[in-house]
Amino acid sequence: MKLGTYLKRNYDLYLLLIPALIFVLIFNLVPMYGILLAFKDYNMFAADSPFMSIMASPWAGLEHFKKIFSRPEFLNAMRNTIIISVAKIVFVFPVPIIFAILLNEVKSTRFQKGLQTIVYLPHFLSWAVVAGIFVSLLGSTGMVNSFLESLGYEKVKFLMDNSLFRPILIISDAWKEFGWSSIIYFAAIAGLDQECFEAAEVDGANRFQQIWYVMIPGLIPTIVLMLITRVGNIMDAGFSQVFAMYNPTVYETGDIIGTYIYRVGLGKMDFSMGTAVGLFNSIIALVLVVSSNAAAKKMTGKSIW
Amino acid sequence: MKKIKVFDVINVLFLLLLGIVTLVPVLTVVAEAFSDPRYVVLGDVGIVPKGFQLDTIKFVLKRVEFLNAFKVSVIVTIAGTALAMVLTVSAAYPLSKPSLRGRKFFLYIFVFVMLFHAGMVPNYLLYRSLHLTNTLWALIFSGAFSVFNLFVVKNYFESLPESVEEAAKIDGASNITALFKVVLPMSLPVLATVTLFYGVGFWNNYFSGVMYITKPDLKSLQQYLYDLITMTSETDASGNTLQSAESLVVLSSDNVRSATIVVSTVPILILYPFLQKYFVKGVTVGSVKG
Repeated sequence: MKLGTYLKRNYDLYLLLIPALIFVLIFNLVPMYGILLAFKDYNMFAADSPFMSIMASPWAGLEHFKKIFSRPEFLNAMRNTIIISVAKIVFVFPVPIIFAILLNEVKSTRFQKGLQTIVYLPHFLSWAVVAGIFVSLLGSTGMVNSFLESLGYEKVKFLMDNSLFRPILIISDAWKEFGWSSIIYFAAIAGLDQECFEAAEVDGANRFQQIWYVMIPGLIPTIVLMLITRVGNIMDAGFSQVFAMYNPTVYETGDIIGTYIYRVGLGKMDFSMGTAVGLFNSIIALVLVVSSNAAAKKMTGKSIW
Repeated sequence: MKKIKVFDVINVLFLLLLGIVTLVPVLTVVAEAFSDPRYVVLGDVGIVPKGFQLDTIKFVLKRVEFLNAFKVSVIVTIAGTALAMVLTVSAAYPLSKPSLRGRKFFLYIFVFVMLFHAGMVPNYLLYRSLHLTNTLWALIFSGAFSVFNLFVVKNYFESLPESVEEAAKIDGASNITALFKVVLPMSLPVLATVTLFYGVGFWNNYFSGVMYITKPDLKSLQQYLYDLITMTSETDASGNTLQSAESLVVLSSDNVRSATIVVSTVPILILYPFLQKYFVKGVTVGSVKG
């Protein structure tokens, strides 16, 4: 079909695309112009609007980027981001897999459904709510401290203890999301060929052997895909979570890139610095996500987009 | 045979324990909300209310700040979800047509904005320049479009049989007519899923408020809750309790916080059966491309 006739017949398809394109242009693409801030000494009042002032501000070259790496707070946030992300991969990532396998072994569907209803629930709570729940649970009058006290121990300030903050992030993340993350593995288990299990049983494999030699190998593609995706998102150590749960006493172990950008860029109004750290973060994240997607495609034939 | 049975028993017990561990934190908050403040302050409340009372809940429900925040959350969730659905569905339809000229180009734009973000500061300055800060629009626009959801809907449209739509087109229907008369009626499950995705996203978003809203009467429920939590933990740090702040009604801050959490989560709990059903579908259908 000639382009002219095609457009004449299908112009309405392009009309339908316009609202989303305009929205993305204004709220996603225009802000990218703001990235220039990272290379300028920003003066918010150099022109009529904060955005116009970007152009009017003097150039600073790579000055801000040089400064970033000499700031101990930034290096600390960077280190925490990676430590928390890796710890979550090690301790949180396997939980839904094990849970899905174990729950699948229970033959009663009523038990399965009932338990799923319970463990999916925390996923629908906001991090503000979950932070509130953990403040209640771990606060000075909370259940955990009451329990410790009844055993004769001192009360612990859980959310203000640098050695406990990361474990709390990991546990609360696991608590909120493990049930939800198991859905994809349930689906994968349901999609496995039942004949393989029957054949293994005929060959005399017991249930552990069936899980080990049939089910887990069948789950590997899904696990690999999820793991690669997770690794690709390593730069996000859980911003909404940390932001709702942390406080100045645990910056040392809990401050991550996102929260650092917020405090420097918007809290202290050091806009150029905040943008520079944000750009640094966005570029690393982009490279990681794109390469992890390429790796997933290569290894499993599947991809996220 | 005997060994297998032992495994079954241990397995069920272990899973039950996991279920209990998941429930206990929720139950403690609920118990605190309905308990006598005196027991809460002493740390005497476990997972069942002690000295059952409804005064704290009533107190929270009567607070002007709470009512305002609730109203803001309802307005933003409804308006935001409506806008988001219009944007998502109208873009998903053309993109689901393999024959669309320039399809790749448009897809690249959407994938690009999904993967690369300008960052917090440029976004903030843009909202300020457009005079959107301290307006409800800031809360609506900051959650009104998700490329992930766009792809969920697009993938679903692609999976529909071509023939029905073709029949309508032979009868002279335009693309837009076909979308409304043929495609959307066949897509109700995915529309429900994505509507709920957006709805829960708006309802649960506290950070957009933190970033763009400083006026107390424009704060959403989640931001109000966030303020309440950070305020309490800060007073905790200096060793004071918040009791003195409530001069008329003597309630412990733990009490009020828990009651606010409970009340603000009720809408989610009412919708939970639908959420569970449609979210599970969304996760298993649209998220991964084969």
